[in-house]
Amino acid sequence: MSSRDQMDEKLERLVGQALRAQPPRRAPASLEGRVLREIAARARLPWWRRAMASWPLAVRIPVITACAICVPLVWIGSVWLAAHLVSVGTQPGIAGPLAAVRDVGQTIVSLGTVTGQVLHDIPRDWLVGGLIATATLYAALFALVALGYSLLYPRTDYSKARLT
Amino acid sequence: MRAYQDMVFSTAVRLTGNPAQAEDISQEVFLRAYESFENLRSSPKAGGWLKTVATNLTLNHLTRHRKRWRLFSEVFSDDTREEELESAAAVFDTVVTELETDERCAIIEQTLERLPDHQRIPLVLYHYEEMPYQDIANRLGISLAKVKTDILRGRVAMAALLAPSGVGAPDDRRRSPSATRGAPL
Repeated sequence: MSSRDQMDEKLERLVGQALRAQPPRRAPASLEGRVLREIAARARLPWWRRAMASWPLAVRIPVITACAICVPLVWIGSVWLAAHLVSVGTQPGIAGPLAAVRDVGQTIVSLGTVTGQVLHDIPRDWLVGGLIATATLYAALFALVALGYSLLYPRTDYSKARLT
Repeated sequence: MRAYQDMVFSTAVRLTGNPAQAEDISQEVFLRAYESFENLRSSPKAGGWLKTVATNLTLNHLTRHRKRWRLFSEVFSDDTREEELESAAAVFDTVVTELETDERCAIIEQTLERLPDHQRIPLVLYHYEEMPYQDIANRLGISLAKVKTDILRGRVAMAALLAPSGVGAPDDRRRSPSATRGAPL
């Protein structure tokens, strides 16, 4: 080890010694009051203005259910709307200005038809098997990445750190 | 909260070097703790949890300004001379062995606040948070070599800031801690 490296190590040791001997900085006297005031202000908010995780269960369940219902409804509505746009677009008076809309509608209808036909033709067992295989592969890949990350970048356990 | 507020504030203020920002961050830490109060109330790891959240929130806050200091310090080379290291070690030797506790604490905290972000943040993470070089590099999104260089330069810069205050000098040259304000880095 060169004398420069030795001096580097000595400096590191002395700086570490000086810094770790420092007591914690005293928090401002105003901090506690600020936190309590903010907690009180948040508690006064009506439930619908807070995070969804803190909403009453009786509200959360219907909202989540409604969202889940909305997804297929939006899909069905889009297909229905596209089909109507196609029929409207074919009328002579408005065919010109709505030609682009009609093309988009026809594309969506075609995609919906093809998707429906493909799903209909695939045996149900294959679909279920495919979904299970996809979920298993995704979980395995996720676990592999998590394992690799934790091995490559071990996390510091701050619970054992000094509370300075 | 009273048991941990100094620890949380210390973590934030040493990383930011700014007491006002540190107070804002500390407030946010305790608000998050309040949201998780049921889990933390009886947990022996509450202190560690608070320290981790304080560190992460502070680093997130600092990341918003990170581009500024990363740009200026990404071009680097470790050109610190052995004499500089020796001189810096002598200053810290004096700090550790000769100064009274109160005076030492005040001078070191003031000196730390005056370091530029790109030196203070890795220095604090290394010496106070006891993070390895590689973890610091990953967390800050900079190279390992840069972390090492910045920490080394931070130590030398601290010594250079401490020296004008009379640390390591004869008693008649010693000035008050406030005299370090405005000293060149």
